[in-house]
Amino acid sequence: MFNARLVASFLTRQSSSSRCATKLNSFSRLSSTANTTTQLRPGVRFCSSHGSFGTASRTAANSLTHQSSSSTTTTPTPRFASSSNSSSSSSSSSDVAMYLKQSHERVFESNRTWAAEQKARDPEFFAKLAAGQNPEYLWIGCSDSRIPAEQITGLEPGDAFVHRNIANLVCNTDLNAMSVINYAVQHLEVKHIVVCGHYGCGGVKAAMTAKDMGILNPWLRNIRDVYRLHEKELDAIPEEEARYNRLVELNVIEQCRNVIKTAPVQQSYAKNKFPIVHGWVFGFHDGLLKDLEIDFEAVLHDIQKIYNLTDN
Amino acid sequence: MSQQDTFLYALSSNNAWAGYKAHQNPNFFPKLASGQSPQILWLGCSDSRCPETVILGLQPGDVFVHRNIANIISPTDINTSAVIEYAVVHLKVKHVVLCGHTSCGGAAAALSDTRVGGVLDTWLTPLKAVRFAHQEELDAIKDDKARAVRIAELNVEAGVKVLMANFAIQDAIRERGLEVHGCLFDIGCGRIKDLGFGTKGRNGASGGLNGSSEEVVRGKHAQLAFRGGNAQMIVR
Repeated sequence: MFNARLVASFLTRQSSSSRCATKLNSFSRLSSTANTTTQLRPGVRFCSSHGSFGTASRTAANSLTHQSSSSTTTTPTPRFASSSNSSSSSSSSSDVAMYLKQSHERVFESNRTWAAEQKARDPEFFAKLAAGQNPEYLWIGCSDSRIPAEQITGLEPGDAFVHRNIANLVCNTDLNAMSVINYAVQHLEVKHIVVCGHYGCGGVKAAMTAKDMGILNPWLRNIRDVYRLHEKELDAIPEEEARYNRLVELNVIEQCRNVIKTAPVQQSYAKNKFPIVHGWVFGFHDGLLKDLEIDFEAVLHDIQKIYNLTDN
Repeated sequence: MSQQDTFLYALSSNNAWAGYKAHQNPNFFPKLASGQSPQILWLGCSDSRCPETVILGLQPGDVFVHRNIANIISPTDINTSAVIEYAVVHLKVKHVVLCGHTSCGGAAAALSDTRVGGVLDTWLTPLKAVRFAHQEELDAIKDDKARAVRIAELNVEAGVKVLMANFAIQDAIRERGLEVHGCLFDIGCGRIKDLGFGTKGRNGASGGLNGSSEEVVRGKHAQLAFRGGNAQMIVR
């Protein structure tokens, strides 16, 4: 059922570009073999060895390759937790050492498989990676440990230029974020800028708490300003969590507006018709991204009455 | 691939990822929603080739992250300071890892005499200062790539000094043994090298003579061991 959903989602949402076609193929492989593999090794954890989920399809298929080869050629490594449960206190230190050695080697075996696949797909992959970057996206997200941009979007190394700070704020006097936008737009010529917030954001909650937080005050003040801009709407929401969640969304929209106010974005768009700015929110309860569907053209037009930094 | 395609790709890929994670472990997202308790604060470069959680082999929930241009730690930057304060004082991370990388565009810009433009030149000021402080050593390196690697290392050293002077970090080192590490990620081979700066004050080149110099950064699903001049990843 799960795989059918994946394939369906790709079939309906993806175009027929070559990159997507490759992914579809991987998904077909996945859907035809995943059940067997799951039964083979019910306890196996999905490749944290790869680190990246990479592209969902590619890594999943890759882990299958690795797992099936290990189940036929070598004895599958038991998970430490389950083996220690079954043998209770009798597991000796040599068992532990053996487990550590095997689990350590598994990482490198998976890594070799991954590297070989990348190379087979594109013999120049690593050479190109070392030579330079050409990312399509600038990701402006929260520092929160639960939202690693690359893993939740399935993007690969080289795909997204990343800036992460407390509560994904874009402040006009912050040289740090302004430099990131400048470099990403003018030098790397990214096509999309994504501001990604998340529900249950600790930064947003801290900002709504009546408390002196020292050096965090000037930073979190920006979120209080977002509240003030939307005071009526927010005050009208009786339930606290719903109010916080709406503030998270409004904060993302406001930060998108701040990105659009910058000179690099306005000037590049006037000249190249990119980048486009998007506002997304990540939900922990289901792991899904919600597109706030910001109308980039409309916001740009709206802010340029006052913030126009182009020549026209 | 058109602009719209790449955009849809990321969204649909997220859909696939969320489905897979939930399928593999139904408790994954409910657990994630209950809060974060990362052990590592990662201060790295925005460069798209340095996805921290990926290269550390860790999972969502393991690493609190700030990434900026050329991983510059500037003492008066409110953005970085807010991240450090939140991670060290409120989340009580056990490790602060400042990580530079090879073939860094910021390092190349700092080594050049041309103006980058916009706000970037101002942002790169601390890195320029590192260059001028080590002008002789850098000039003596004939290979451009090797020079960029060296300034990236010196940049990490300077950043670690700023971190060690941060009051929140000083308090945490004294009160609960917070550790500060300075590392370099080699994009060409995918390995992280411990440069030996920070709380241990070891020299990476001569470290690792015996097992006692090993340090382990533990994530929930994997751990990173600093041994001598290298870092190795171990999946739990």
